[in-house]
Amino acid sequence: MSTLSNDIAVIGWAQTPMVRHTDKSETELLLEAITLAITPLGLGRADIDFTCLGSCDYITGQAFSFVSNLDAIGAWPPKRDSHVEMDGAWALYEAWLRLQEGDIEIAVVTGSGRSSTGDPALIYPMEMDPYFLAPLGADPLTFAALQARAVIAAGIADERSMAEVAVRARGKGDVESLLAEDYIRQPLRRHDVPPITDGAAAMVLATGDRARQLVERPAYVTGFDHRTECHNPSFRALGDSPSTRIAAEAAGLSDAPVEVAELQAAFTHEELLLRDVLGLGDDVAVNRSGGALRENPIMATGLCRIGHAADHIFGGGSRALAHSTSGPCLQQNLICILEGRS
Amino acid sequence: MTRFIESTITFPYKRSLGPVVGAFMTALTEKQILGIRSQDAVLVPPMEWDPATGAELPHEFVEVGPAGTVESWTWVVTPSVQHPLDHPFAFAMVRLDGATTPLLHAVDAGTPEAMSEGMRVAPRWRGTREGRIDDIICFVPGEAAETEGEDTGGAAEPVTRMDYLASITYRNPVPEAADRATEASREHRLLGLRCPTCGRVYAGGRGLCPVDAIELGPDCEVDLPHKGTITNFAIVTPVPYPGQTETEPFVRAFVLLDGTDVIIPYSVVIELPADQIKVGQRVDAVWASPAEETDEGGGMAGSFGSLLGWIPNGEPDLDDPDLVNRIF
Repeated sequence: MSTLSNDIAVIGWAQTPMVRHTDKSETELLLEAITLAITPLGLGRADIDFTCLGSCDYITGQAFSFVSNLDAIGAWPPKRDSHVEMDGAWALYEAWLRLQEGDIEIAVVTGSGRSSTGDPALIYPMEMDPYFLAPLGADPLTFAALQARAVIAAGIADERSMAEVAVRARGKGDVESLLAEDYIRQPLRRHDVPPITDGAAAMVLATGDRARQLVERPAYVTGFDHRTECHNPSFRALGDSPSTRIAAEAAGLSDAPVEVAELQAAFTHEELLLRDVLGLGDDVAVNRSGGALRENPIMATGLCRIGHAADHIFGGGSRALAHSTSGPCLQQNLICILEGRS
Repeated sequence: MTRFIESTITFPYKRSLGPVVGAFMTALTEKQILGIRSQDAVLVPPMEWDPATGAELPHEFVEVGPAGTVESWTWVVTPSVQHPLDHPFAFAMVRLDGATTPLLHAVDAGTPEAMSEGMRVAPRWRGTREGRIDDIICFVPGEAAETEGEDTGGAAEPVTRMDYLASITYRNPVPEAADRATEASREHRLLGLRCPTCGRVYAGGRGLCPVDAIELGPDCEVDLPHKGTITNFAIVTPVPYPGQTETEPFVRAFVLLDGTDVIIPYSVVIELPADQIKVGQRVDAVWASPAEETDEGGGMAGSFGSLLGWIPNGEPDLDDPDLVNRIF
């Protein structure tokens, strides 16, 4: 009685306002996001068969913080629930696998994080290799700058094309004045790096006929894969992203053209590298949402990419690609292909 | 206006190093840098397994450096408290002589103009070395390694463990409901919130119903009784850990409030020794007197505020076999 993997669809999603500082707790953010996601579909919390939450204790500053987040899903009578200490995009992956068992029809996944709770520049170094990297305070900006240098050396980007990405993503500024700014981590300038954002997102998946009853045009997940590379950037070719390439092949990216791509590129050079590795031409609209350079709610940023790709299908599009990433220098990469059916 | 509280969480980790990282760290105390051979390559930093294939590597160590070549770098304009240097410096990928892969470390070059790909650098060693990656304070331009301060020599024994202090300060919003519950406790009121949908009542200033997943505002507030029954308890025998202040076994009890479905968990008990507590015991709330008031409140944590705990009230015990099941 299993469900075919390509008969599982995103049928809706929602996000909280994305802000630099929120007064709300992570649980309150999730409460809002889930209600916003399910209510327009005519669903209540009792209709949800499975939940999977993506969040990070290190960001929250509380062990087992996902337990209090259960308050947002209404877990009584007891529900099937799971958690990933990863972006909500990986929670979606787990829900997609779970739905293939065929015994349930509706899943809700979330991604949530209050990055303003701590100082990301001091927290992330503690998550790095504990022997060789954490004691040096090796931080995200440093890793990003080293990768940017490698991407530039590979001929995939230059400081100008990076500034162009920033202008397009944020819809403001001009390239000449951005390039006149000082470096914050050479070759990165302020415009090359993401904002710090608080927020949460929730997404609803449904199977088969149930999906088609609930919405006119479900966004079917027709390809889904994620791959990881070595944890220590010393052993990686930073001017390339082989895990992205393999995940895209496994997800069937090359089977048909995509019209839009939503890439979790928190740094400008990452978007250029990912475009190159994925072979996205100028005919593909990349990060029309503004992407992670505009709003970067850590642990929800990847799920939002899938949400924006789904919006393209809901609006009549045929095929869309969404990408999420985790770890320093695009260490782990996830590719999700969404399709509409006529 | 939402109130925020700051808290600092500290984890004093003690990490085992294992045979490969341990050998590397031990060698650092001797001012030697080791790589590990993986077929034709020499991996630095050394890994127990080949990063490409996952194959376990034989423990064939190769001394590399101490000088090396900068393959890539970035300039840290404003160092953080975690960084190796307190003035602007470079983080660089340094390929040590004889190594195949680069090591990330700091380079103390003065200005970014002094940095370039291909430049030669050598370690600046700490005088007293413990077997940590930061026994190398940083690298400096040139071929010659240097040592800062008096050189106290290598480790007497192989280094097998590494301390790492992770400390993070967080700033979290306090839910308005929690502040209101704390405020009520100053007047010796025990505040609850009744869910308008399911009718359940919650204590402790949690501003939402976890069953119906809705927020509970001031209009949901109810006063709870100050009398209850112990449903279950644990006797905690303290073990020493950083921050532990208790030394003797102590009780944490669960109290079901009269005429309600509300459990006050992890409650402090007063004038009730650990060897005399039992399920079914009747208790009254004890509130802090003005002299006992502190900013941190009473013996109960968080939004229970001035509630010190629960004291036996002399009423006969309840004999209900279901009581023990009530901890939520």
